Amino acid sequence: MGSRHIPRLGIGGPVGSGKTMLIEQLVPRLVAKGYRPAIISNDVISKEDAARMKAGLSIEKGLVPEDLIIGLATGGCPHTAIREDPSMNIAVVNEIESKHDELDLIVIESGGDNITTTFSPALADYFIYIIDVAGGDKYPRKGGLGITSCDLLLINKIDLAQHVGANLKVMERDAKAVRGKKPFAFVNCRTGEGIDDVMKYIVHDLLFELPPKNVSKKGRRNA
Amino acid sequence: MSQRRESKFTRTKTKSQREESLLSIMQLSDSFFPAGMYTMSNGLETLFYQNKIKNAKQLQALVESCIRMQIGVADCVALGNTIDAANASNIESIIEIDQTLYAMKLVKEIREASVRSGVQLLNCIYAFAKNSLLNKYRRAVSTERATGIYPVSLGIASNITGISKHSAALILLYSFSVSFVGAALRLGMIDHKEGQKIIHALKPTIATASKNVTKPLQAMWQFFPALDIAQMMHERIENKMFVT
Repeated sequence: MGSRHIPRLGIGGPVGSGKTMLIEQLVPRLVAKGYRPAIISNDVISKEDAARMKAGLSIEKGLVPEDLIIGLATGGCPHTAIREDPSMNIAVVNEIESKHDELDLIVIESGGDNITTTFSPALADYFIYIIDVAGGDKYPRKGGLGITSCDLLLINKIDLAQHVGANLKVMERDAKAVRGKKPFAFVNCRTGEGIDDVMKYIVHDLLFELPPKNVSKKGRRNA
Repeated sequence: MSQRRESKFTRTKTKSQREESLLSIMQLSDSFFPAGMYTMSNGLETLFYQNKIKNAKQLQALVESCIRMQIGVADCVALGNTIDAANASNIESIIEIDQTLYAMKLVKEIREASVRSGVQLLNCIYAFAKNSLLNKYRRAVSTERATGIYPVSLGIASNITGISKHSAALILLYSFSVSFVGAALRLGMIDHKEGQKIIHALKPTIATASKNVTKPLQAMWQFFPALDIAQMMHERIENKMFVT
């Protein structure tokens, strides 16, 4: 109540589509640019994703303080937790905002869900929906609110396309057809291919090209 | 005194006010109301994984015990006293009730979940109701003089929306029961018909427990160590669906 709003990036997608790995690719790039993120990881049955990110992003790489990677159980209702009743997520966001004014953004990972997943606008300012080619090249044309309404659609695991008989050209055509002018991108979250383009969208559309807070403060001090 | 004031208030309500009050009861007790109740199992998840609660009969007995030994005698009492204090616009008394109930909840996960739920309830009410007492209580929460714990926040919301003490107690107990039984359903312990059967069977227990809403703050207590222990164990399990 009354704290400064920190930009919030929502990441949703089906189980195993690469949400956690996307965050693991984005965070080092964000930190390299001077941005300070916190992460809330909604998980359907465990805090495994949060534990994995703590081990990798906090303990091993020292990119995010351990207490700023927060696992949240969602009572078996992943889409409810980010849309119909996002109160527990908002409570955690508010707690972070009240204690960590220095942060530049909060990444909120949804639990794995279906293609109708969307984030409440009260929870996320920018919404990335991620699918992967292993679900078949029919995925984009099936539509679903997640695919059609997100700010940025990502199609992950493009290296597997040839092995699962998915045609990337079909996926590209259908993504354009169902999303109109809204952007989409092919990525490989294992190798990092395409992630720099995702960063450009985040910095431009969510962070409005503003410098990181610690950089702007230093700039003010030096001026 | 405050009971007399409330009774008079109830008697003098117009038909339209009574209908609005009824709609407010429905709104606040609906699982669609965003207070995060669906994320809580109140320790049931631990007891289920430990094979200590396995069927509808055991579940019903557990919920009844929890209402009799914790929610009815602690949360309901806090709720009733909050509504009295709200009717008297006594913010200091409300803060005292808030702190007393918070101190009485022994398990960290349960305390935190109740606070998060209560604060979100306040924020939601604030979105459609302007009220000076609500503003004062929210300020007390933001300055950490109060916690925003759910029963106290519900008392403030009830005061604002013209819900009587007794109805507010029914909302609290019903929402708690639905949250508990809903968790059992999602754990696969019971099916949807068994869930409704339990909710129906809980009505006499809920009705009896709701009478605690008229008791003074000094009469508040809770004692259910077996469930406390299960709730504490829940804090330590790795693979879980629920925040409590």
